[in-house]
Amino acid sequence: MRILSLAGRRLAASIPTLVLILIGVFLLLQFAPGDTVDAMMAQMGGGDAATARELRRFYGLDLSVPAQLGNYLWRLIRLDLGFSSIYGKPVATVILERLPPTILLMTASLSFAFFFGLVFGVIAARQFNKWPDTLISTLGLIFYATPSFWFGLMAIVVFSIYLQWLPAGGFEDIGAVQSGVFRILDIARHLILPTLTLGLIFLAIYLRIMRASMLEVLNLDFVRTARAKGLDETRVVTRHVLRNAMLPMVTLIGLQAGTMLGGSVVVESVFSLPGLGRLAYESVIQRDLNTLLGIVFVSALLVIVVNFIVDLLYARLDPRISMEG
Amino acid sequence: MDLTRLDISRRTALLTSAAIAANVVNPLRAFAQETPRKGGVFNVHYGAEQRQLNPSIQASTGVYIIGGKIQENLVDLDANGQPVGVLAESWEASPDGKTVTFKLRKGISWHDGKPFTSDDVAFTAMQMWKKILNYGSTLQLFLTSVDTPDPQTAIFRYERPMPLNLLLRALPDLGYVSAKHLYENGDIRQNPTNLAPVGTGPFKFVKYERGQYIIADRNPDYWRPNAPYLDRIVWRVITDRAAAAAQMEAGELHYSPFSGLTISDMARLSKDKRFTVSTRGNEGNARTNTLEFNFRRKELSDIRVRQAIAHAINVPFFIDNFLGEFARIGTGPIPSTSTDFYPGPNTPQYTYDKTKAAALLDEAGFKPGAGGTRFSLRLLPAPWGEDISLWSTFIQQSLSEVGIPVEIVRNDGGGFLKQVYDEHAFDLATGWHQYRNDPAVSTTVWYRSGQPKGAPWTNQWGWDDARVDKTIDDAATEIDPVKRKALYAEFDKAVTTELPVWMPIEQIFVTVITAKARNHSNTPRWGSTSWHDLWLSA
Amino acid sequence: MDAIKRYVRSPAAVLGLVLLLGIIAMAISAGHVYPRDPLALAGRPLIWPFSNPRFLLGTDNSGRDIAAQIFYGARISLLIGGAATLIAIAIGILVGALAGFYGGWVDTVLMRITEAFQTLPNFVLLLVLVAVFGSTLTTVTIAVGVVSWPAPARLTRAEFLSLRNREFVQAGRTLGMKDAQLILGEILPNALPPVIVYASVVMAVAILLESALAFLRLSDPNVASWGNLIGLGRDVLRVQWYVSAIPGIAILVTVLAVSLVGQGLNDALNPRLRGR
Repeated sequence: MRILSLAGRRLAASIPTLVLILIGVFLLLQFAPGDTVDAMMAQMGGGDAATARELRRFYGLDLSVPAQLGNYLWRLIRLDLGFSSIYGKPVATVILERLPPTILLMTASLSFAFFFGLVFGVIAARQFNKWPDTLISTLGLIFYATPSFWFGLMAIVVFSIYLQWLPAGGFEDIGAVQSGVFRILDIARHLILPTLTLGLIFLAIYLRIMRASMLEVLNLDFVRTARAKGLDETRVVTRHVLRNAMLPMVTLIGLQAGTMLGGSVVVESVFSLPGLGRLAYESVIQRDLNTLLGIVFVSALLVIVVNFIVDLLYARLDPRISMEG
Repeated sequence: MDLTRLDISRRTALLTSAAIAANVVNPLRAFAQETPRKGGVFNVHYGAEQRQLNPSIQASTGVYIIGGKIQENLVDLDANGQPVGVLAESWEASPDGKTVTFKLRKGISWHDGKPFTSDDVAFTAMQMWKKILNYGSTLQLFLTSVDTPDPQTAIFRYERPMPLNLLLRALPDLGYVSAKHLYENGDIRQNPTNLAPVGTGPFKFVKYERGQYIIADRNPDYWRPNAPYLDRIVWRVITDRAAAAAQMEAGELHYSPFSGLTISDMARLSKDKRFTVSTRGNEGNARTNTLEFNFRRKELSDIRVRQAIAHAINVPFFIDNFLGEFARIGTGPIPSTSTDFYPGPNTPQYTYDKTKAAALLDEAGFKPGAGGTRFSLRLLPAPWGEDISLWSTFIQQSLSEVGIPVEIVRNDGGGFLKQVYDEHAFDLATGWHQYRNDPAVSTTVWYRSGQPKGAPWTNQWGWDDARVDKTIDDAATEIDPVKRKALYAEFDKAVTTELPVWMPIEQIFVTVITAKARNHSNTPRWGSTSWHDLWLSA
Repeated sequence: MDAIKRYVRSPAAVLGLVLLLGIIAMAISAGHVYPRDPLALAGRPLIWPFSNPRFLLGTDNSGRDIAAQIFYGARISLLIGGAATLIAIAIGILVGALAGFYGGWVDTVLMRITEAFQTLPNFVLLLVLVAVFGSTLTTVTIAVGVVSWPAPARLTRAEFLSLRNREFVQAGRTLGMKDAQLILGEILPNALPPVIVYASVVMAVAILLESALAFLRLSDPNVASWGNLIGLGRDVLRVQWYVSAIPGIAILVTVLAVSLVGQGLNDALNPRLRGR
């Protein structure tokens, strides 16, 4: 119950932020040259002025900007995300269709980055300034510095074309109709390279943070006390150090949620994944305001939810921190 | 199957297509002897998702690649580029050109079982072609009504003479029929059938998973006997061209239409025995690369400056080194593939001559100033092709050598159309001009004055010429084909002399298809046709 | 000074500095080593590296010298990285200082705005900004700066929050110092070090963001930038992969250098790691 009321309060506190974002993006896009009808004409390969006028009236683009904004906000209050001009479907439907690949990709990348970041960060900290540490830290930096799209393209060339181990793109195999376990395995196979590509940078970040955090904690009084008590090193690490060192890692998840969605735009485009990132890119190019705002709304909600969960976890990890504070 | 014979035949096909013969190469004899294999799934590369799939309301190859297999047109083009009846069996024009009567085929039904009748044609023509279809509205501007005295007859009545060969040339693209009973109520544009099309064609729509794929299955009740051969077609949405090439090589895709892969990948795959890479089958989809001049810039309104710019760019060098075998030098807005209208290569050409260019610019009064700069220009390239991007860079490089620094301004699709054709915020622009079998369909609008502001791919240069306008108007209503051709030759000469838009490069879309496919590329607009005779060998 | 001694003791930090100086040297000497316009037609397109002595690193698909573009591209990357970072840090410090110093409703409002920017995926915002304002060098730089200021702002705010109640600030107040003097003269110099160190992270991200934009063909095509080259190389990735690979390595090395320098600065200025 407490959690629900906390969640409710957190959501209420975030509403001004959400509204600010939506209004901001809406107004910003008004200044973009061309509207969704121009983009449509570009796609059609031709069109005349009468058609254009008709379409503008159809999409409600002939109203004034404040009127359009007002309409949008009024619909939003009733939780109606509007109609997508690209897809001819309600925005909510479009987003729900494209949500699974993105969620899967982000969860997989996050888990991959967090887990391996943790493991290697601990190893590096334990072997501080010895060669494993240098190796891991150097690799970490190289991963961090590698442009993700470049890595993705090279990965396709190596693993899909030369070695032919993994598919070159797409979400699943369309030719064969699969279900159940086979479908899951097929999707998993398609997501290996994208996960690696998206996760690599975050792996580097988590690695660094974990290592730095471990180093700090390993030096604190209570650890020295535990060692003095004669506790075995591994126990010291797992029971005392890890718990405290993980705090910054957990915070980072919250901060990185938004960045990850941004990074997925490029990864989804390289690997032809039907996710929210590419949808966002398309809706900017095609000036589909409703869809873009819908995505912004959903991703903002996602970030808020993730941050909330992170705060809950944080409180559990560090009893000194109270949720109300 | 004698593979070596097939390989040599393929190379011959490639060579002839590289020369781009004026006539379509006939389907090669070797294949006529094989027995078609029934069955199989054909995987198609679908590079740019469209907003909807109904070709009656949107004329573009992006729609035909899918909609053209599900819905059918009244008339299509045969192997020789001549009109052949599909839903229409025969046609007849009145002597004054104001009436065209179509006799429709009997015994055809829609995928939902209802019969196809002349009511569907009348409805589609009046409500879709005339009111909504881009280019259709221009073509059918003077259409007043379509009478249906019986279910197999549709009489098109025009208030001004409609040249029969114009109508027949345009209908393959602009003549797809939709079912009246599915569209008569409600807003046509909002109709969900547009995303789940119902037609009379060889394939029935099954599923559209947005962002991923579209599936259509064999229509067992198709009106042509023993057709289609394929069981299923799957169109895969792959926006990244390098990824599409990878999938073709991995065997996951059979066909990439309309130059869907990069130039370098196409060149590479053309040497791979598993694939056929050629322009055969796309002669009806010729396009020219343009260089559009904005006459509102004082410098560009001087014909000497425009000629100088043309002389400063080494087009043959560009084609040879950057576009490879799939392009050739253009001679004007009417491409050499247009058998009925190509006036020949005797229009004014602009050979590469930097000295002459400099002299013309000096003569026009624009001498080099400080740092060798005469004046600078902003170039807006359209974002739809790799070739456009390479061409705009080449223009920038070439013009800087004669003292005209060029700034390239990038835009996305909607932004480009707005900036160039609506706000006229450009000095130079470059894009594609699509030629659709007849100059009156989508070519003369690039030159005719009086175009409404904001209409894309029309004369927005701030230029007009009354003489050219008259030639265009006369040709659009001239019934005698010989006289019509002569008028268009006159038009071609006039505009290549005046040069409001320079069209120096001619290209035909390239098809990349598996060597296992049979009966492919056998009409000039094969990618858009219904594929009723397409089959895959084992 | 202690800090400098600590810095040079770390081989990684020194390596980073050397690399960074090398890249700066490339940027400065570009005009001498390659006096011609790097975007001009230099030779036939797609010549392989090391196959022609005139073109050490080959040519790209527009016939331009890749090595020349690498040299000139260093200018663009450093410029965009540097300018965008300055913009981000400037805005961040301004917002963070005001929020941290005054607290109350000023803090609430400014933090809501910061939160808004952080909640919105930064790349999506970047796409929107570029779609609206165009793809010239100036707009891309400003756009990258604009999406990067929230983190420096939070950092500055945290510093100000902890420093504003210290004795030296109280002392200043009793001496009658005005707010502006306190902020600029007393607190800011103490708050700056962690922010400056964070600047290296901002710079690294800025360079990567610009290259991602160029990859999507949304950056300025009139300058020789590494990102543009990668984008161009996308079309010939299979066979002439070097067109994308070489600038990718250049970006990697630059971001690596910046990160190593930043890490070195952090370790050198961070007293808690003393004695290791």
